[in-house]
Amino acid sequence: MSVLARHLNILDHTLSSLWRRRLKNLSVLLVFAGVIFLIASFQLVTRALTETAEQALVAAPEITIQKMSAGRQVAVPLAYSEKLSGIFGIRRVVPRVWGYYFDEVSGANYTVLGLERDRMPASGQLDLVLDQGESPAPGRSGAALIGRSVQQGLERKGGSLLSLFRPDLSMVSFTVAGVFKEETDILTNDLIVLDIDDARDLFLVPEDVATDLCVYVANQREVPTIAKKIADALPDTRVVTRAQIRKTYQVVFGWRSGFASVCLLTALAAFVIFAWDKASGLSPEERREISILKLLGWETRDILAIRLWEGILVAGLAFVLGCTLAYIHVAFFGASLFRPVMVGWSVISPSLRLAPTVQLSQFLLIFCFSVLPYMAATVIPAWSCASVPAESALGGV
Amino acid sequence: MLIELEHVTKVYNQGLANEVTALREVSLRIDDNSMVCLRGASGSGKSTLLSIIGCVFQPTSGRVAIAGKQLSRLPDRFLTLHRRRYIGFIFQNFNILPALSVEENIMLPLVPLGMRPMVMREKAAVLMERFGISHRRRFPAGQISGGELQRTAIARALVNDPPLILADEPTAHLDSRLSHEFMDFMADLKAAGKTIVITSHDALVTEHKAVDRVIDIRDGRIHVS
Amino acid sequence: MFLDSWSIALVICGLVVFFMMGFAARSAVRVLLYWDPDSDSGRQIKLENEIWLTSTLVECALGVQILSLTVFVLAADHFSGAIVGAMCATGSLLANDFGVPALTVKIGGVFLYGFWIVLHQLDIRSERYPLVRLKYIYLLTLLPLLVLDLSLGMMYIAGLEPDIITSCCAVVFGEAVGGGTNLFAGFSHFLSLLLLYGSTALLFILGGLLLAWRRIGLVVVFGGVWLWFFLLALVVITTLFSSYVYAMPFHKCPFCILKPEYYYIGFAIYGLLFTGAHLGMSVAVTEPLRQVVGLEEVTERFQRRATLWSLVLLALFTAVSSWHYLRYLLLGGQG
Repeated sequence: MSVLARHLNILDHTLSSLWRRRLKNLSVLLVFAGVIFLIASFQLVTRALTETAEQALVAAPEITIQKMSAGRQVAVPLAYSEKLSGIFGIRRVVPRVWGYYFDEVSGANYTVLGLERDRMPASGQLDLVLDQGESPAPGRSGAALIGRSVQQGLERKGGSLLSLFRPDLSMVSFTVAGVFKEETDILTNDLIVLDIDDARDLFLVPEDVATDLCVYVANQREVPTIAKKIADALPDTRVVTRAQIRKTYQVVFGWRSGFASVCLLTALAAFVIFAWDKASGLSPEERREISILKLLGWETRDILAIRLWEGILVAGLAFVLGCTLAYIHVAFFGASLFRPVMVGWSVISPSLRLAPTVQLSQFLLIFCFSVLPYMAATVIPAWSCASVPAESALGGV
Repeated sequence: MLIELEHVTKVYNQGLANEVTALREVSLRIDDNSMVCLRGASGSGKSTLLSIIGCVFQPTSGRVAIAGKQLSRLPDRFLTLHRRRYIGFIFQNFNILPALSVEENIMLPLVPLGMRPMVMREKAAVLMERFGISHRRRFPAGQISGGELQRTAIARALVNDPPLILADEPTAHLDSRLSHEFMDFMADLKAAGKTIVITSHDALVTEHKAVDRVIDIRDGRIHVS
Repeated sequence: MFLDSWSIALVICGLVVFFMMGFAARSAVRVLLYWDPDSDSGRQIKLENEIWLTSTLVECALGVQILSLTVFVLAADHFSGAIVGAMCATGSLLANDFGVPALTVKIGGVFLYGFWIVLHQLDIRSERYPLVRLKYIYLLTLLPLLVLDLSLGMMYIAGLEPDIITSCCAVVFGEAVGGGTNLFAGFSHFLSLLLLYGSTALLFILGGLLLAWRRIGLVVVFGGVWLWFFLLALVVITTLFSSYVYAMPFHKCPFCILKPEYYYIGFAIYGLLFTGAHLGMSVAVTEPLRQVVGLEEVTERFQRRATLWSLVLLALFTAVSSWHYLRYLLLGGQG
C-alpha cells in the first residue's frame, strides 16, 4: 500500500467520474480553454513582435544622434560629426536623411530613408533581405529599393517608375531596383530606400544638414562611455544607444501586453466566478455519492483528492487546448481575431506574418494567469464537497 | 468481534432548539461470531446505535470499544480508518451507485486502500462468482434486477473481508423471497465466523433461526422484555 | 512597472498565496478557539474537517510559493531588458533596495510552509492530533511573513524604473551592474571549494552516524550543518559553479543557469539543494516532537527517512552542481 498506488486508484476513479459527468465538465473545459486562448494569444503576439523588433535592431547603429530644439527633433548639421573626431573609439559617423512621404493617390504614408550606403558597415547585407532585384551601386542616383506595400501601390497605378513629388510639387522619378522580402515586413513594408542625395533632393534638405547621425563603435563595451562623451560634447542633441532602443521596445511591448492582460483579467475574473459556482454546486445525486463513498471507508482527503484531480485534469486539458489554439491562431492566422481590437497597434501591418517562438517561460506566465486563479477558486468548494458527512446516506434516526 | 457499549448517549444538535436525544445510557455487549437484531420503530434510535457501532460518528458520552479498541473520543479520520478495516455495511436501498458497473461498485471500498487494480479485480471476481453475478460484471448497476442489486451490495460489504457486518433495514424494500435469500446469505456469513448486526422490525428477520438475540429499542433505550 | 505581464503574474501569485493562507488562518483561529477533542458536536466535526482544508490550502500555497519564486527570478531576468544598466536577473534584483529582501523572504516562505506540512503529516498519524494547537499557532505566525512577502514584492516592482528613451536631451547612463560580481565578492576559489566539499563530507559522516545510532545533539548539529551548507552552496554556485556553466569567467550569476540556453540545469541544481536542505533541517526541527506522547515512533521513522533522503539528494546535488566544473578540469579548459 503506497501513496502513489492510492493516488493512481483515485485518479482512475476520477477519470470515470469525469466521463460520467462529461457535459458539465465540458462546459467548464471549453470556457476555460477560451480564456486561456485569449491570454496565450496576446502573450504570443507580444513575444513575436518583440523578437521581430530585436532582429531588426541587429543592423541598427550603436548610437544615433538627433538634434533637439525646443523639445522637438530638427535637422542636425553635418559639422557636428567633426566635433566628434576627438572621441576615441568611434569607428565612423554616417549621416542619414529620412522622413515620411504621404502618397495622395493611394492615401498611404511611406517611410523614405536616404542612406550613404558606401560608408555604412552593414550595407552589403541589404541584398540579403531583397526578394527581387539587387541594391544599386553606392552613389548611383535615381534608383530605389521598396517595400511590398509600396510595390503593390505601384502595381495598382500600373507604372514601373516610382514617381514622387517634392514639397514644391515638382516630380522626381525613380527606377525600382529591388523589393524587400515578406519576412522583414515589420520594418520594410512601407519603406523606400534611396541614396542620400536623392532623399535630399526629394525632401529639399540642404547639403549641410541631415536628419540624424549614425555612430558606429568598434568595441561594444565602450558604447555607454562614448555615448556619454558625445552627450557632453554636443549638449543640444539627444543621444540614443541601440540598447536603449531595445529596452524601449521591450517596455512598450511589455506595457501593451500588460495592459491587454489587465483587460483579459476581467474575462478571467468572470471565469473564476463561473468555476467557483460550478465547483460548489452539488446535486443531490453527487451528495449522496460522496456520503456513500465515505461510509465505505473513504476519508475526507480521498474525496478531496478526487476533486483536486478533477480540477487538475480539466485545467491541464484546457491549458493544452488553449495554448495550442493560440499558437495556431497567431502563427497561421496572424492573430486575425484581435485585428479589430488592435487598431492603433500601428506596428501590426495587415499582412504581417508572425512566427512566435515557444519558450517555457511564456507558458509559465500563461499558467500563472489562468491555472492559478482557477485553482484558488476551486480548492475551497472542493473541500466543502468533500466534507459532506457520511451519515447523510443513512436513513432515519 | 466483540462489541462493548457502556452508558452510550447520543444527542443531536446539542444546545440548540432542535436538540434530540436519540440514545440514552445504552449499555450493550455483542459477542464475537453472533448475529444480533436491533428491533424498534422508526425514530427509536436503532439506526443511531448502528451508526455508533459502525464508527460513523461518536457518541456524545459513554464508551465504545470494538475488539478491545477504544473508539469513543477518536477523531473522525481514525473512525474512518477503523471502519474500513473492520466493518462492512449493507444499507437500506443498498446505496449502490447506479452509474458505476457492478464490478466498480464492489471495488469501491478498496480504492482508497492503495491496492493494485489487479488485486482489486481478483477480489471482486471471487465475490461475484460466489454470489452468481459474474455475468453482470460490466453492467451499470442501475440496470440490474433487485436480487442482483442485493447480492452486489453484500459482495461490496465483504470485499475488504471485514469481521463485522452491519445491515441497516436491509429487507425494508424487498419481497419475501429476496428477504429470505438475504437472511440465508447472512446465516452463511455467520457460519463463516463473521459478527452480524441487523436493524429491522421485519418478523422475517427477527424470527430467523440464525439470529442469536433480538434487542428491542424504544425511545433510545434498550427495552428488556 | 506594474503594467507588465510578469509583474502581474507575480502579483497574481502573491495574491493567490495570500488568499489561501488567509483562509487557512481563518480556520486556524477557529480551531484555536473551539477545538475540543472530547466533544461530538457538529462544530467539532466541522473543525476536524477543516484540518483537511487547511492542510490542502497550505500544500497548494507551498506549490504556488515555489512557482512564485521561479516567476520572481524569471521576471527579474525579463526586467533586465528594460532597466538601466541591468544585463541579467542579478542586475534587476539589485536595481532597488527591495529585490534581494523580497527574494530572501520568498525562499524563507518555501522552507517555513514546508516545515508546516511536515508537522501536519506527523500530527495526523496520531489518534489524538497532539500537535493541533502548535500547528495552528505556527500557521498564524506565518501571516506577518506573508504580508511582508507580498509587500516587498510590490515595492520591488513599484521601484523599478524602466529605461525609456526620454524626450529630453539628458540621457541617463547607468553603470553596468549586471556582472553579478557584486553579489558576493572576494571569495577565493580554493577556500570556497574546500568549505563546500568539506561540509558535504561532514554531512555524510553525520548522516551516517545518525542512521547508525542516534544522539540528540547530533540531530541538532546535522540540521545546523544543513542550514550552513545551504547558504554556502548558494554562495559557491554564484561565485564559482555558475561561471563554469556559462563558460564565461566573468559571468557570475546564480539565476541565468535557470535559462533554456543552459538546458535549465539550474532547476535541477536548486531543486535538489532546496529539497535536500529542507529534509535535512526537518530532522532537527522535528526533534522536540519525539517528546510528545503518541508521536515518538512516527517522528523517529520520519527522521530516519528524512536523513536518508537528504543524503541521497546531497549526493545528487554534488554530482549535478560540480559537473561543469569537473568537466572543465578534466578536459583542460574546453568546458
